Order: sequence, then C-alpha cells, then structure tokens
Amino acid sequence: MHFNSKDIDLYASQKDYVDTAVVPLIELDLTASGMKASAGASEYLQSLTVILEKQFKGRILLLPPISYVRAADRTELGGQLKKELSETGFKHIFYLTTDPKWRSVDDLDNVLWLPAIPTGDMDQSFKKSVMEDQLRQVLPLFTKEWTHHS
Amino acid sequence: MSNNRVSRRQFLGYTLTGVGGFMAAGMLMPMVRFAVDPVLQQKGAGDYVLTDQAVADITEEPVRVDFTFEQVDAWYTSEVTNSAWVYKEGDKLVALSPVCKHLGCTVNWGGDPEQPTQFFCPCHAGRYEKNGQNIAGTPPLGPLDEYDVQEQDGFVAIGQVKPNTLV
Ligand code: FES
Repeated sequence: MHFNSKDIDLYASQKDYVDTAVVPLIELDLTASGMKASAGASEYLQSLTVILEKQFKGRILLLPPISYVRAADRTELGGQLKKELSETGFKHIFYLTTDPKWRSVDDLDNVLWLPAIPTGDMDQSFKKSVMEDQLRQVLPLFTKEWTHHS
Repeated sequence: MSNNRVSRRQFLGYTLTGVGGFMAAGMLMPMVRFAVDPVLQQKGAGDYVLTDQAVADITEEPVRVDFTFEQVDAWYTSEVTNSAWVYKEGDKLVALSPVCKHLGCTVNWGGDPEQPTQFFCPCHAGRYEKNGQNIAGTPPLGPLDEYDVQEQDGFVAIGQVKPNTLV
C-alpha cells in the first residue's frame, strides 16, 4: 500500500495482514558533478519500490522515500527511524537503498542494498525488463523473511 | 425606418445585456467544461489495448501478458503497465486479472509448488482455481476479475476489466 490517506484507511482496518513496512533511503547529492547520478539512483530506487508495492500491495506499506544530505549521520538517522517504526505494529521492516554507507550501519536489520542502475536513459521496454529483473532479485528476500518469521 | 429606431435607452440596454451575456458565458463555459470534460474523455467501453502476445502461442496453460496504456490522472498522464493471465478454453480466449481479491497483491499461476494448477497469492497464501474461483479457506472472498479479450490480427488485445463471468 502507498502512504496516502486512502490506503492508510485500508491499512488501519487490515493491520493484521499488512505487517511489513518498506522504507526507501535516498542520499541527496546536489553538487554539480554528483547531481545526475544522485537523481538516477533516486529514480531507480523509486521505480523499484513502486513495482514492489504492486506485487505485494496487500502486505506491505511503502513509505515515502527518506531523503538526506551526504553529510547526514546514517547511524543516527537509522536509530530514529527504527525507533519511530518500533512504535507501530509492523512485524517486518525492510530498508531499501543504493547508498553504500548504510552497509556499515549495524543496528538496522534487513537493509537491502542494491547498486543503482542508471535506467533513466534507457528506452521504455528495456527499462521495464531491467526493473523486472531487479524485482526478481528482491522478491525472494521478502518471501523468505515472511516464511521464517511469521 | 423611423418607426424602428432604436432609442438610446434601448441601445444601451441591448448592448449591456449582450456584453453581460458574453461575460457570463465566458465565466460559465470553463466551469461547464471542467464538469463535463472528464466525462467526455472517458474511454469508451470498446477500447482494447493490443499486446505483443500471439494468439497462436496461447495454450490451456495461463501465461502472463503485459499491456501498457496511458492513464490520465487528476494532474498528470502516466504510462501504466498491467498484466493479465491469458489462456484458451477450447477456442475461446480467457483473460483474468492478477489482482488478488483479498488486499490486492499480484497472483501467480502455479506460484505455490504444491498447487501447480492454481493461482497463488504470495501475500497471505490466497488461492484460486484456473477459472478464477477463490478457494474456500484462503483469505480471498471473491473470484478474480476478468478482462474483455479479443484477437486482433493474430495478437491478444485486452479490454475492460469486469466481474468474473466464468464461475
Ligand atoms: S492479498 Fe492475496 S491473499 Fe491477501
């Protein structure tokens, strides 16, 4: 489900079924040399989470992307997110990111790090097949988590 | 001629009514258009989206067929790709919506290895028969929706979604 008022109404009435939160983490690099890559990574991650949501609409709540500047303290941000989410009823929380700095943050579980693929300049149908390929890598991680901890 | 002369008062009266009328129309027309436009723009029921799936390759085994169309949202137009599970029932094409009737996940044909001839929803293990009938005891409360489907020049074309007519 998306983080909009209509889906949240449904979420509120179906909490037992929607037990997984998905949090996209996006680094903003606004320097002249880094902006294009940063935008591409953001585009990639958002497309991926949208098709992921479509696949698992009834079980996941896709939060809006958490965006932060390069200098942001990942450990602190991670801690804050974790705390906020711990006050909800979600049984499973996945963080999706293309930012390698999250790999050294140890106290977040289920951080799925994916290398960003610059899909922005691809033509539609090629992009679609690339994204589906990516999705196929991610789906089993969810189903595995669900079967092991439910 | 002189009998029909328009007096100054009448002339002003006509002019003002005319101008006022134009102004009122100028204000009302956009409002009417706003109200009516979305209705006029709705796709007719006869709209089919052509896919690149050849009908000859369709068997009794459901396959996923994607179709892309432009969706006009309130603010912007976007390309949306949906899919359908398409198979042949005798000579007839059948296209089912992959959207689970429980909470909307995407179902897969044979997604549960133990039930290779059913649709399976990975979210809460909902299951459906090949014709879309939901299996009692699993979360979904109704059958999968169906799409209008037809053959166009040998390819599958997908139409509007409708309640299941097969179960
Ligand atoms: S969304 Fe398909 S079983 Fe719950």
